[in-house]
Amino acid sequence: MIGVVGKPASVSNFFKATSSLVQSPLKPLTPATLDAEPKATLPVQFKPETSYSISQTLPKTGLVAATSSFTGVNQVRFAHTDIKVPDFSHYRREGVSNPAASSKSSDEARKSISYLVAAGSAVGGAYGAKTLVTQFITSMGASADVLAMAKIEVKLADIPEGRNVTFKWRGKPLFIRHRLQSEIEKERSVVLSTLRDPQADEERVQNPKWLVLLGVCTHLGCVPVANAGDFGGYYCPCHGSHYDASGRIRKGPAPLNLEVPKYEFPEPGILLVG
Amino acid sequence: MALSNTVYNLLFKRTSTFMLTIAVGSFAFERGFDRLTEYIWESHNHGKLWKHIKDKYE
Repeated sequence: MIGVVGKPASVSNFFKATSSLVQSPLKPLTPATLDAEPKATLPVQFKPETSYSISQTLPKTGLVAATSSFTGVNQVRFAHTDIKVPDFSHYRREGVSNPAASSKSSDEARKSISYLVAAGSAVGGAYGAKTLVTQFITSMGASADVLAMAKIEVKLADIPEGRNVTFKWRGKPLFIRHRLQSEIEKERSVVLSTLRDPQADEERVQNPKWLVLLGVCTHLGCVPVANAGDFGGYYCPCHGSHYDASGRIRKGPAPLNLEVPKYEFPEPGILLVG
Repeated sequence: MALSNTVYNLLFKRTSTFMLTIAVGSFAFERGFDRLTEYIWESHNHGKLWKHIKDKYE
């Protein structure tokens, strides 16, 4: 135990220092001394396997530079100064072949060629598209042999008055009736409000003497019998529909009048249907 | 050179005239192309078509 007390005469009350050393109850640690063994060195087995490690092995600086990639070809470029700039004048247009001359003077000529190519392609494309569409649409239409049979010409002089003649037209029966004057007057005097499918006789004929009808019953498609039935026109034997001498439904199950096809009289005595 | 300048300035410079050129050109091209191909086809099939043998039967 050491105690030091300095006591100057005048300021001894203000300066007082005590220093004491207390012995630690713990025993000091004895430092462990290890024998410095030589570090084990692994043999370097550097094997470039990734693109990065491959590139690390390549020279980067200096006169030789090399690039590498994992998938590509390794190449080594030698920098040199005798590379010749290729001559592209073969590929250049005439207007810009001279690098010293202004290219503006040949501007319109060069552009017109480019636009000509574009316009030509557009014209060809438009023609091709039109042809394609036309082909598809005409494929939906009737074929030439059907169109050739689509019209029928009838000599009206062969049909006596009061007779009904049947022709085949577009695979369906076609009725042509040479009506008597009495029949015409009778059909014209029918009151329209009494009809199931109101249609005046004048609407159904072009020439009142000639009645042209499709001979297909509007009920279920049977062929009516001419000059039969309660109304002196047509009678369908299948389900008993009665049509009058204008082809209008008067009695029975059919809902509509007999259909009138498109026809014309190109010259007197000739009837053209279709 | 003068012709291409005129063509460019008149037809190709504006989009409107460019489109008009294409539209009008399509009609002209269609007529010409159809006539040409028809002519080639008919000369290739000369003597086989109905209009070539029609006079034998009528």
